[in-house]
Amino acid sequence: MLIDTFETMGTVASVRLRGSDKAAALEPVQQVFRRYDETFSLYKPMSELSRIASGQMALTDATEAVRMAYAECVRWRAATRGDFTPHRPDGLIDLSGIVKAQAMNEAATLLRGSSAEGWLLDVGGDVVGSTAGTAIGPAASSARHPELWNIGIVDPDDRTRLLCSLPLGDSWSAVATSGTAERGEHVWRTDDSAFFVQVTVLAADIVTADVLATAILSGGRSRLDEATSTFTIDVIAVDRAGGILTTPRVRDVITVTAA
Amino acid sequence: MRKRAIAASVVSSSAVILIGWQIGAQAQSADTSLSAAAPARTSAAPATSSPQSSARASTTPTATPEPSTAASAPSATSAPSESPSAASTDGTYTGSSVNTRYGTVQVQITVSAGSITDVTALQLTDSDSRSVQISNRAAPVLRQEVLAAQSANVDSVSGATYTSDGYLKSLQSALDQAGL
Repeated sequence: MLIDTFETMGTVASVRLRGSDKAAALEPVQQVFRRYDETFSLYKPMSELSRIASGQMALTDATEAVRMAYAECVRWRAATRGDFTPHRPDGLIDLSGIVKAQAMNEAATLLRGSSAEGWLLDVGGDVVGSTAGTAIGPAASSARHPELWNIGIVDPDDRTRLLCSLPLGDSWSAVATSGTAERGEHVWRTDDSAFFVQVTVLAADIVTADVLATAILSGGRSRLDEATSTFTIDVIAVDRAGGILTTPRVRDVITVTAA
Repeated sequence: MRKRAIAASVVSSSAVILIGWQIGAQAQSADTSLSAAAPARTSAAPATSSPQSSARASTTPTATPEPSTAASAPSATSAPSESPSAASTDGTYTGSSVNTRYGTVQVQITVSAGSITDVTALQLTDSDSRSVQISNRAAPVLRQEVLAAQSANVDSVSGATYTSDGYLKSLQSALDQAGL
């Protein structure tokens, strides 16, 4: 298995390729992240988004990539009733909430087309992956299917430990976790009664998983209930008191794994 | 009879606690309540112990049941029919429907060898009387239950975003270095 890591977007990406040792497959993946970083980073003063944020450039004059990313953010803002938004509280346009996931999505498309039997991409704690030839749903146990990628979920109370681990499947090819621990309160809470310290969302694609993890962390229990009834997702949420909430399918997998 | 009383107490106390969860309680202490605290209340009638256990399980004011809720706290509808023995507590118990201000709640638990092995919410609606997709609603799980699901073989780790510096301290970094 080939393992490669590279820095991007202020964090580190890890790629695993199973059944392939062709490092050449990784170069296009790194290119995707470089392109997104150079266009969307607010830490690079000459990036397109920095110029829009500073008023040097109008959003309407932006490239299609930027306009499309903004449009997708606005769609997610509507879908999450404002818990996810492309604007910071001070009004500055900030697409970083979706850009990493979009880059991962594009990289996933490249990896899917590669000759590798399986691949796994982890960028700063968000994960997307696929295992060829295993059309298995989320109820599958990794114990019975050792070829599935097994993803550990960090325990927010002790980040050197895992809360649990779950196998990736077809309807769970992406896992995103939002929390308050690593970067402090970087999510702006829209609901005072929000009490989750960590929210993990499992979905078929990384953009949905990432956006909804952020929205549920921000919006609390009401957003959690709405998201699980609206989207095909599963959730593991940890509240301030250390209590853990999961959707039934996660619970089933946990039961199977523990048995 | 004592075992039977213990079983009934465990079932009813647990059902109340779990209903407390369903209506929004964040029961960080409930894992201990389930296994350790409930049998200690064998002498207390379920109805009188219910408010206590609900209060124990509550960490938010809104989760405390209304007095009317506590009064109609569910109890096991089916008592074990066999003569008292270690296995006689096994079975499925269904709590009665309880109207809370969060909607109607009913739970079913499965008891095996004196422990609760499964909990199912049978019906649930939210405060707007809008039917909640119960099939996918997130519900509390016991921490030990989750921890028991750990696998020794993890390929990748999901957690809140780490920085380039934070990566070195992350579990993902350890996995990458180990070449796993």
